[in-house]
Amino acid sequence: MSLLRVENLVKSFGGVHAIQDLSFEIPEGVVYSVIGPNGAGKTTLFNLISGVYTPSSGEILLAGENTRGLAPHQLARRGMSRTFQNLQICMNMSAVENVMVGSHLRLDSSFFKAMLRLPSITRGDRACREQAEELMEFAGVGHYIGSEADAMPYGALKRLEIARALASEPKILFLDEPAAGLNGTETAEIDQLIQKVAQSGVTVVLVEHDMKLVMNISQHLLVLDYGKKLAEGSPDQIRCNPDVIAAYLGAA
Amino acid sequence: MSHIKHLLKTPRYGGLLALVLICLLLPLLLQNAYQFDVAIKVGISAVVVVGLNLLIGYTGQISLGHAGFFGLGAYSSAILTVNYEWSALAALLAGSVGVGLIAFVLARPILKLKGHYLAMATLGLGIIISIVIATEDWLTGGPDGMGVGPFMLFDYEIYGEKAWYWVVAALLVLSVWLALNIIDSPVGRALRAVHGSEVAAQVAGIDTTHYKVLVFVFSAVIASVMGSVFAHYSGFVTPTEAGFFHSIELVTMVVLGGMASTYGGILGALILVLLPQLLSGLEDLEMIIFGLILMLTMIFMPKGLLPTVTGRLKGGKA
Amino acid sequence: MSAEFLQYLFTGITIGAIYALVGLGFSIIYNASHVINFAQGEFLMIGGMCTVALVGTGLPMPVAILAAVAVTAVAGLALQKFAVAPARNAEVVTIIIITIGASIFLRGLVQLVWGKEFHALPAFSGDEPITIGGATILPQSLWVLGITLVIVVALSWFFNKTLLGKAILATSHNPDAAKLMGINTGFILLISFGLSAMLGAIAGILVAPITLTSYDVGIMLGLKGFVAAVLGGLGSGAGAIAGGLILGIAEAMAAGYISSDYKDAVPFVIILAILFFMPSGLFGLRGTERV
Repeated sequence: MSLLRVENLVKSFGGVHAIQDLSFEIPEGVVYSVIGPNGAGKTTLFNLISGVYTPSSGEILLAGENTRGLAPHQLARRGMSRTFQNLQICMNMSAVENVMVGSHLRLDSSFFKAMLRLPSITRGDRACREQAEELMEFAGVGHYIGSEADAMPYGALKRLEIARALASEPKILFLDEPAAGLNGTETAEIDQLIQKVAQSGVTVVLVEHDMKLVMNISQHLLVLDYGKKLAEGSPDQIRCNPDVIAAYLGAA
Repeated sequence: MSHIKHLLKTPRYGGLLALVLICLLLPLLLQNAYQFDVAIKVGISAVVVVGLNLLIGYTGQISLGHAGFFGLGAYSSAILTVNYEWSALAALLAGSVGVGLIAFVLARPILKLKGHYLAMATLGLGIIISIVIATEDWLTGGPDGMGVGPFMLFDYEIYGEKAWYWVVAALLVLSVWLALNIIDSPVGRALRAVHGSEVAAQVAGIDTTHYKVLVFVFSAVIASVMGSVFAHYSGFVTPTEAGFFHSIELVTMVVLGGMASTYGGILGALILVLLPQLLSGLEDLEMIIFGLILMLTMIFMPKGLLPTVTGRLKGGKA
Repeated sequence: MSAEFLQYLFTGITIGAIYALVGLGFSIIYNASHVINFAQGEFLMIGGMCTVALVGTGLPMPVAILAAVAVTAVAGLALQKFAVAPARNAEVVTIIIITIGASIFLRGLVQLVWGKEFHALPAFSGDEPITIGGATILPQSLWVLGITLVIVVALSWFFNKTLLGKAILATSHNPDAAKLMGINTGFILLISFGLSAMLGAIAGILVAPITLTSYDVGIMLGLKGFVAAVLGGLGSGAGAIAGGLILGIAEAMAAGYISSDYKDAVPFVIILAILFFMPSGLFGLRGTERV
């Protein structure tokens, strides 16, 4: 069974069809990439899958369960996590706290216990902070452990966001343009980080413009154009697909 | 000096210890009943502001109607003890449970709103409460207000400024302790994440509506309790306690002292209660100067006093 | 239609037109700068009080009115230049406090100059009520309605036909693009506050003969104007006008048929109900947050 299955998905804004009758499956344990020209509907697709938008019609099944009507936090509980194209880091918090937000689901978050600071809260927090620091090391931003988020450079924030997304211990991780705005060295580092994440057993779904990065690390690709599926297959298949070449040359 | 600086920097208990010391030592400096009275009023506002700061400063949800909850608490105590001869403690508890329920029911539809729409809704709520209080004079005494009896705790009466000072000081320390606990916990991080990026909080598994409702109810209940305390302390309540200007005053304390700074809010309460006392000799100029100070502080220290000052002390950017 | 109903309707439309003008003032500033100006009500107060004072010095009414509108416009420009512009990047709540500080300051200033008493402005053309269908209407109400209509027409001409008006609209839609097109957006913000202050002043002068005026008359009128603007969907001019009229009529009907005690609560009850069920106002469209 595939981990994520999308069937006949449609999303319209007013009269504009952002996603049109889209179906695909993501098997467990792969790096899966969604590519396509600007405005092809990639981010909309992520927003639909993560519950930020509601589909106009069609189904999304996560591990066999229909996600219709589930809010983002309920999807998180079922093993879904994501990052954002335009960073969504909480600038009012420290770097570590941002990552700790990611482990919210696994902590005792009772208001009354927190108010009285009962031992279960203290214990949970200590473990959670340690894990957050490990994740920051893992993501390559270990030297920012003592920093406030608003004191970190852009490239480091991109990786901090991945660390936060990992803190919920997801089964499937959606990365929306993780290399956007990064230079060559930083992109290579993100590339390594994504491979490390994939090796740890997390299914990774990627939206990315950087073709080299995408072709390098994904086993499977989905090409979108104007909200429709243009092609699907392995990097080699996509590279030789005449429709894809036409769309990309046409768009460029 | 550096010692104090060090204390203030310690995350939780440093600041709390400083607050306890200030509360313990302050009576040595206060010389007469008037000064105690001002200190008590600062304390009452400060407790409300500590709660409100969780909502506005930490969670980023504005409320221009919290005086409504303060007023409901005050009038619950007044009406239940005077008209129905309840004990003061029972009236206080009943008032805060009632306010908690009202806040809980209204929180969901209200907190779906954002920005100026949220400001409008909370403003409207506060104004409606104050109009109801002013209009139902058979119950509330109308615009002239009503008298309230002393606070009898079992057989002991809280009597005189000194006794009230210790009650309010204890409540202030308690509220700060609770607030600090909340802020540095999964709940507090969830609240701050709502402010920082609501969508990021959601995909991290945080039921943001749930937390917004919780903090709204919590801050409303604190306002209600302090309304009850105020009613018994002052012995008299009027609809202005629930009015638009009192709401604005409370928000201003939060913003002036420093959003997302618990101690900043207390500083804001101190300034906003003291300022009219200091300006009262100026009669006609009072409003002009008050308005000017409000504008200038917010223009030059948009983050509020305490965060700006501590920012300068650390030598970093304000 | 019963005479009673007609009477309430006249009252409602008159006060509704005033709310509409205040709401328009909120909308113009909101569009240009995304600021809710809590000092909007003070523009009404300054307009009314200034006219009273100038008429008191023996100036003819039209001259006094023009001068009062000019004074208020200057207050609006000063508010933007010295209080709002310096805090451009502050949080919503910070700017709210700044405009509230400004409103307290302006109220204090007027109270210092003209005292705390109520002042009466003579009606523009007599106090002899006109009878229509069994109900009476004051000539001043006709002035209110007529001038509101003229203003609405003039504003729609201004925003649709003049270069400056179009520049204001462009800035409200996309400030960055407007800047790139060579529009001086700082100037546009300034003009918006000036324009909004003039609208407020006119509303304040129109209503002064009906309700009397004093240093604190702007508070409630301002808040209800804010309700009108939100009711119609923040930033929508037509919405603000419709919102204002709806509020005025609902308020008059409630006062007449239910209880005048809760007259002032009516707009707030309506807006809460609307916000609970239609979160972007009656005519508002809400954009989707892009993430």
